[in-house]
Amino acid sequence: MKRYLLFIVLIALAITSCGTSNDNKITITWWHFWTDTSIKPIIEEITADFEKKHPGVKVELVDLTWADGHDKIAISFSSGAGPDVVELGSDWIPEFSSTGHLLDISDKTESYRDGFLIWEPGLYENRHYAFPWILGTRVLFINQNLLMRAKYAPDYFPGYWNDLLTACERINSLGEEFYGFGSNSAERHRLYKKFLPFLWSNGGTILSNDGKSCVLDNPENVAALEYYLKLCKTGLTDTQRRLEDAFLDGKIGFVISGDWLLKRIAREKPDFAFNTALIPTPDTNSVISSFAGGEYLCVNSKSAHPDLAFELVKHICSPENQLKFCQQNKTPTPSSVTASTNDDFISQPHFMTFINQLKQSKMPPAHPKWVYIEAELERAIEEALYEVKTPADALKDAITKIDEILSQ
Amino acid sequence: MKQNGYAKGWMLFSPWIITFLVFWFFPLVYSLVISLTDYRLLDPSVDWIGFANYSKLFSDADFISSLKNSFIFVIGTIPFTTAIALALALLLNEKFKGRTFFRAAYFMPSITSMVVIALIFSNLYARGGYLHLLADMIGLAPPANGFLLSENSALASIMAMDIWMASGYYMLLFLGGLQTIPTELYEAATISGASKWHQFRYITLPMLKPVTLFIIVINSIKSFQVFIEIFVMTKGGPLNSTFTGVYFVYENGLRKFDFGYASAAAYVLFAIIAIASVIQFKFLKTEWKA
Repeated sequence: MKRYLLFIVLIALAITSCGTSNDNKITITWWHFWTDTSIKPIIEEITADFEKKHPGVKVELVDLTWADGHDKIAISFSSGAGPDVVELGSDWIPEFSSTGHLLDISDKTESYRDGFLIWEPGLYENRHYAFPWILGTRVLFINQNLLMRAKYAPDYFPGYWNDLLTACERINSLGEEFYGFGSNSAERHRLYKKFLPFLWSNGGTILSNDGKSCVLDNPENVAALEYYLKLCKTGLTDTQRRLEDAFLDGKIGFVISGDWLLKRIAREKPDFAFNTALIPTPDTNSVISSFAGGEYLCVNSKSAHPDLAFELVKHICSPENQLKFCQQNKTPTPSSVTASTNDDFISQPHFMTFINQLKQSKMPPAHPKWVYIEAELERAIEEALYEVKTPADALKDAITKIDEILSQ
Repeated sequence: MKQNGYAKGWMLFSPWIITFLVFWFFPLVYSLVISLTDYRLLDPSVDWIGFANYSKLFSDADFISSLKNSFIFVIGTIPFTTAIALALALLLNEKFKGRTFFRAAYFMPSITSMVVIALIFSNLYARGGYLHLLADMIGLAPPANGFLLSENSALASIMAMDIWMASGYYMLLFLGGLQTIPTELYEAATISGASKWHQFRYITLPMLKPVTLFIIVINSIKSFQVFIEIFVMTKGGPLNSTFTGVYFVYENGLRKFDFGYASAAAYVLFAIIAIASVIQFKFLKTEWKA
């Protein structure tokens, strides 16, 4: 019997000894997604720098992956064991802010509003819950070889919808293996990101100004969907991954994509003749033409050290640290205005396209029920794409369902 | 002394028992409780709503169509998988050169990662992919944007892949079954002048019944639970044509965080699978006795 007791005592010791630390430092935990070996050292450098400035504070980094990071964050917050600081994708914020899991940082961020871009995803009932960090947007990628074969100058880019349609038709008629436009197929959770910029640039909206009803069938929206379908007919419809493959193979004239494609081209096909441009607008009046997304930093409302946690957020988002991060990660779109005016930084090829496009980008409404609205919106786009319904009917039918979601 | 033996036994057994209770049994019961509430993962307020989730499910057109797709998947794959597996097993039970190679080759897909297979098939099925080109060459007029992007062929394409993938595994089970049949039975039948067909019909098939039952039940359960293929290849689209039961649970549970509703859907699926298994047992077992 004694032997068993010893065994149990040993196990108990082993379990309890794991959790204790022997210094009296305050620990701030930060859950983040940058696990790649090319960027993780920068994250560590930034946190080490914070520790140096705040003696007695230790920053504990926890790596998350895109595969299940979202679930882990949600589960940890719902069980009250969330980290002090968490990195959230822009479209995840509302579900956390609307349920009281995030610290209201409205007063703390007041003096920073002008120096950083796109605060909207962090807004819930006019209060701020998220600090913009690394943003992203999508631009038009152009295959210059196909452009020249279609008798355009290599530096040509379509400024307006009609120009794009004409250019796509001309490239599409070059031969069976060439496609004008690379359009997204019925890819759940991605299709709406491709369509919404067309809707916005045409002056359309999904919800009424007060956010209480759906106005999806207004003429601007219908016209935008009709244009998108026309564009789809001038090329290849496939998943984003395969569209980018085909673009790199030189088969597609125009494809809308983000900075990851820049990196991929540099890595896989550095000699590829391509250009980037702002996504065309219907006419000169439009100001918005792309879909933005990004990474935001939030403080847990149950954090034991909310002020220190916010200090860490500020430190990570400071222009110097953003610049350091973006330069290493080849991300053209920091949220900091100061960082995106650094001469060295913006001189990198194609970065200016992204920086300019970001100023003409928008995110979907920060609504706690967005994921439901998104599903109905995508259903409508799909029905029109597959010619089950006309664009007008498809959008009209979605209204009933979205209104129902809004009223719950 | 005897008591001590029991303690030792339980202690050796406890890692499994504890893991089973904590990670399997508790979630199972807990999700049944959750299915009667409006529990949303991030929402701290939870209310009892009785069977409201269940009644909502049966008026949810998406859920009904997801069940329909699951049934199509099960009914459309099982006869083919079973027949192909049996045919392969019969062939590979014969003695010929290179038999081991073929046995290994047909079994290979079932030990390969499903995600890898699904990605490869996504490419084969896409516009310009080899299967798409082949279909075009023999004049089958495949859908313009590839098999997975047409609402008429997406589900069938995933089913075909699943049959290809699963047949090898069930072939192995059939092979095992074939080898337990005593050779005397065939010798006796040959002496009595039974043809090859009669030997197959009256010896092989009846003797394989227990294995067949096992294969059909296991494969039905697996097919009702189809998820990874859908997740990797189509995400339920286009037009919900590949939106199956388990994918419905995933979408509502892990995308919309509506755990109550997702748990209710999971329990409806559980009931359907249980009923289907009982029916299969009854049906195949009595026939075997007769």
